[in-house]
Amino acid sequence: MTAPEPRGPRRVGRRAVLLGGGGLAASVAGAGTATRALTRPSAAAPDPSGVIPPDDDLMREHGVLKRVLLCYREMIGRVQAGGPLPAEDLHDAALIIHDYIEGFHEGLEEGYVFPRLRAAGLLTSTVTTLLVQHARGRVITQFLLARATPAGVASADARAQLAAAMQAFDRMYEPHEAREDTVVFPAFRQIVPAAELADLGQHFAELERQQFGTDEFTAMVARVAGIEQALGIYDLSQFTPQVSQYSPQA
Amino acid sequence: MQATRPERGSARSRRCFQVLPAIAFAALLLVPGCGGSGGSPAGTQAGQGPKVTVMARSVPGVGQVLVTSTGYTLYLFQPDGRQTVTCTGVCAGTWPPLMLPSGGVAVAGPGVKSSLLGSDPDPAGGRVVTYDGWPLYTYVGDIQPRQATGQGIDLNGGAWYVLRPSGAPLIPAP
Repeated sequence: MTAPEPRGPRRVGRRAVLLGGGGLAASVAGAGTATRALTRPSAAAPDPSGVIPPDDDLMREHGVLKRVLLCYREMIGRVQAGGPLPAEDLHDAALIIHDYIEGFHEGLEEGYVFPRLRAAGLLTSTVTTLLVQHARGRVITQFLLARATPAGVASADARAQLAAAMQAFDRMYEPHEAREDTVVFPAFRQIVPAAELADLGQHFAELERQQFGTDEFTAMVARVAGIEQALGIYDLSQFTPQVSQYSPQA
Repeated sequence: MQATRPERGSARSRRCFQVLPAIAFAALLLVPGCGGSGGSPAGTQAGQGPKVTVMARSVPGVGQVLVTSTGYTLYLFQPDGRQTVTCTGVCAGTWPPLMLPSGGVAVAGPGVKSSLLGSDPDPAGGRVVTYDGWPLYTYVGDIQPRQATGQGIDLNGGAWYVLRPSGAPLIPAP
């Protein structure tokens, strides 16, 4: 395993992030800017205002969700291997889901994206399933948050229950977000005229600012990166496989 | 087959109010069902204007609770504190408030006390139907009538509970 990058994340408390504090948020701001540029579809004309289109915004929030799912997966693996379950990491991860994904991201989908699709008669069955899954996910998150304490992870039975809950969450949200990214958001983009999309992107940004202050996305990325580092899964290179056995010469 | 959910129209009206300050005319196109809601005060005489009916019904898992005229469960938001509508913005996307249409009146259906019905101003515009002082909301996670999947959920800054016809919230014992 290689050494952490010089400007890698360190753990940032939720309070510090919500208060807009911590040098970390500022230190990764450049990375956040780069992400914005990279996630913009090449087909869309660049918006000189810098406002991210709403579907792009939702997709990059999915990136945060995906990274929490990876944290859950790491913790599931540890429990299944008979190891301890870090209560603080679990709590921090579930709190990101609770505050940012369930309390914000999904509210945008439920308030702006799904109603528009339903009104257009598009993907109605899919939308219904997505709504049910949001509701089920919230139940699981509440379960995780209530038990993510040192006492709550003390017994093997309790850890197994938590691992099963995380597994159910991962199992549901991996296809959930993939379907939204590849089917739901493109359909939404197709039915909403470009000018409206731009206005809605601005409105999403304003809602984010109201709820989390400025640079909320960067702050969330920093928070999840801190959990990854605590779990030892931040270094991306560790996931690169050896491929000698697959090479044509093997 | 799902029952129709006319209260969704009310939620859409609310969306308009939330979006209008920011994006004006575009929101009218963006949100179907947008229409004016002048914030009619509670206590309008029955028989005048559009009606929003609140009734009591038995819902599996929670018993007799307040529901909309189409059977969707109604919730209170604890931070509202029986006096003000605090679920706005993104929160209202997940918990659409039961809006009182302009010039409309809240009507007590079976099992509900009309004396407990009222309305509160919504910071986003219009008025939200109240019961015993609690602003009422539906939950998008309830995809059909007689569900209460939002009961006891802690989300958007506080806890959500169903209400008994007496006006008491159903708060589970710790």
